Amino acid sequence: MAEITEVSKQKSVSLSDRQKDIIQKFAALGSLFVLISVFSFTSSAFFTIDNGMTVALQVTSIALLGIGATCVIITGGIDLSVGSVLALSGVVAALAVKDYGTPVWLGMIIGILTGSLCGWINGFVVTRLRLPPFIATLGMMLIARGVALQITGARAVSGLGESFGELGNGSFLRVVNIGDDGFPTVVFPGIPYPVILMVVIAVAVSFMLNRSVLGRHIYAVGSNPDAARLSGVNVSRIVSFTYVLSGTLAGLTGCVLMSRLVTAQPNEGVMYELDAIASAVIGGTSLIGGVGTISGTAIGAFVIGILRNGLNMNGVSAFTQQIIIGLVILVTVWIDQLRNRR
Amino acid sequence: MESRPVEPRESVLGVATTSTSGLPDSNAGFLLRLDNISKEFPGVRALSNVHFDLRRGEVHAVCGENGAGKSTLMKIISGVYQPSGGTIVYKGEERRFSSTRESEAAGIAIIHQELNLVPHLSVAENIYLAREPRRGFLVDRKKLRADAKRCLDRLGVDISPDAPVRGLSVAQCQMVEIAKALSLDAEVLIMDEPTSSLTEQETRLLFKVIRDLKASGVGIVYISHRLDEMAEIVDRVTVLRDGRYIATDDFGATSIDAIVSKMVGRSLEEKFPDRTSVPSDEIILSAEGLSRAGVFRDVSFTLRRGEILGFAGLMGAGRTEVARAIFGADPLDAGTVTLHGQALSITSPRDAISAGIAYLSEDRKAQGLAIKMPVDVNMTLANMEAVSNGFGLIDFGKHARIAKEYIDLLNIRTPSIKQPVRLLSGGNQQKIIIGKWLFRKSKVLFFDEPTRGIDVGAKLAIYRIMDELATEGIGVVLISSELPEILGMTDRVAVFHQGRITGVLETKKTDQEEIMRYASGYGRRNEERHG
Repeated sequence: MAEITEVSKQKSVSLSDRQKDIIQKFAALGSLFVLISVFSFTSSAFFTIDNGMTVALQVTSIALLGIGATCVIITGGIDLSVGSVLALSGVVAALAVKDYGTPVWLGMIIGILTGSLCGWINGFVVTRLRLPPFIATLGMMLIARGVALQITGARAVSGLGESFGELGNGSFLRVVNIGDDGFPTVVFPGIPYPVILMVVIAVAVSFMLNRSVLGRHIYAVGSNPDAARLSGVNVSRIVSFTYVLSGTLAGLTGCVLMSRLVTAQPNEGVMYELDAIASAVIGGTSLIGGVGTISGTAIGAFVIGILRNGLNMNGVSAFTQQIIIGLVILVTVWIDQLRNRR
Repeated sequence: MESRPVEPRESVLGVATTSTSGLPDSNAGFLLRLDNISKEFPGVRALSNVHFDLRRGEVHAVCGENGAGKSTLMKIISGVYQPSGGTIVYKGEERRFSSTRESEAAGIAIIHQELNLVPHLSVAENIYLAREPRRGFLVDRKKLRADAKRCLDRLGVDISPDAPVRGLSVAQCQMVEIAKALSLDAEVLIMDEPTSSLTEQETRLLFKVIRDLKASGVGIVYISHRLDEMAEIVDRVTVLRDGRYIATDDFGATSIDAIVSKMVGRSLEEKFPDRTSVPSDEIILSAEGLSRAGVFRDVSFTLRRGEILGFAGLMGAGRTEVARAIFGADPLDAGTVTLHGQALSITSPRDAISAGIAYLSEDRKAQGLAIKMPVDVNMTLANMEAVSNGFGLIDFGKHARIAKEYIDLLNIRTPSIKQPVRLLSGGNQQKIIIGKWLFRKSKVLFFDEPTRGIDVGAKLAIYRIMDELATEGIGVVLISSELPEILGMTDRVAVFHQGRITGVLETKKTDQEEIMRYASGYGRRNEERHG
């Protein structure tokens, strides 16, 4: 990564903004490839289809939250509540299924809508009560976590039945051969449903940001809220929308995570908001607002996911992992600053 | 240019003439002298072989269109940039400043167009920011206050050292900046567009301060687009064009026309275009009894088809506020607005925009443009419905076509429709905003200080556009602090004083003095004298 940094630094002096953007993208993508090749070299189990799917699965939660975070951050806001909101959504879905006997799909929809509601409240507090986004979502972070613990009595909700685990554990195109001895051998592990969900949502939100009027307004609000308002953009509605989107995706992430464990944990997702923000920032989203892409955030999510997975496989302790990821965040943002300076 | 007796040794400002190696101003009295200065940026030659010199106690203006290299030259003097070639001699010694810190220590202070004050600190704290007098670990507040007061008193301005800066007017902030420069014992003071946001009255005060500074031996580099007001204070003028040195003249020995033609490289016949639009009796917009508590009250006016209506008055008289309230950007307590005979009820800019009213803010960068976004995005921002389908998806082909159409129509100079607008000149930025509202098919446009910080050539283009709009039946309101602009462009002028319209005058039958009388609230008395 250091080499790439050097190159981009030297060249950026004489390059146009557009070229610099491309180099930045390649720098992030390049560092991803460097990570993959290093880990492939140090651990033979790393570069396999199985592990690839594992990483993809691990990345889904960061990426889904990161997509929401990106939209919020583009408008110049921040959402600290997603970790708690995903826990609340997950336990609400689980309780709906267990205590009220709703079908799994309906329970999950209720869970996701719980996330949307939390996002809507965030948006309301930010746009109508005019509290700073940091404070508004900090409050929601505590409230949602508290409600999740309260309604579950701080206990995990288990015994949800196999169908509850389908969303998180099932996969598409799984090929299994039943051998002569009767034991199944997995030919292709299939693409996990959460990964498909992540790809579809990433493409959809990216399309929304780049191609739709709504996306254009999101960028405009982040770039200059006053100019956007004076151009007739309904700034409050746009800002609220991004919080609802972030909350909804948090709700979805909660359902996916709880489904994977087939248990709803009110303590799930602590500090996930920071991974989400980090993935957006590593991907080039500016906390000042107005700048950011879903492709960048996806790359950022994979950088974090692959770092964790690869370091795990190489037996690096969880504490050291934190240090390394912290440094990666600092270095990538520093590169971004270099690009934007001058 | 015989200026007043200069006291170079012992000045009221306590300017120490640090005799530099026994060469006290031996360089023919030059305080600062730049020779053959060049500056290259990758791919751009910003300055080539530029000369500039400054004497003690003189005001030396630097003129040139946007992009002529004025700012680059100032940044070289103040150490922000290093020159690629050439020499800088300051007080008889060849110097290169590697930072503003170094140039400040040597006595060169710069007052930027965008003032650099910390809003929530007091005036005194701003003046001595990062240089606070200390007693041990603590700030010596008493001394801080006393020193700041002394600096302000020297300027003869009535600003409390304890006042928080966020409550000050732009003019007062500027005085604080000057006081800060004095506290640095500055011998060279660079002023970048100091009057661009001042009213006539405030400009007077600034000029008085400048004259005092001159008398005490400070050399002042003065950058401004307002050539008309230079006659009062400027001794010499240097013209730059496209990064090249054109000429240095004694101001008294040249004329504004000569300076302008040197700036643009061709002779400019006139500052204002001939008006082609003819006012009719048809009323486009009328406002009746508009009031907003504490800001303006009982404001009524009409705008006729084909006319340009001026809003004149001192800063803070309520001109901008009335326009913003009609546009729905600020609330309106009372009054009615009628557009083409239909009474409007406007509670947000969106209402006003869909009714066909547009407001072009005086602060282009803060309120008019999404500055980091490209030309095409800004051009279509107010009318996305027209470039998208029923599903809210943007039709990029149409989007690009529209952007190109308005770039051609308004003759906007940009390398591409994807250029971020922050990289364009002020004139082109203003044209993009105009394009945005034309594409929205606006029926009435409020231009708030549309030519502020825009160079001479581009100003004329903006005026032409305004005239054409009026000809096409679009209502044009021009809010301006520059009286020549009001007199040169409008058909009638509504003069504001303390939140009220004190008179609506026929532009052809009035003059600067009469407008100023109404603007200062003495208009009525004048009427009585005449009647």
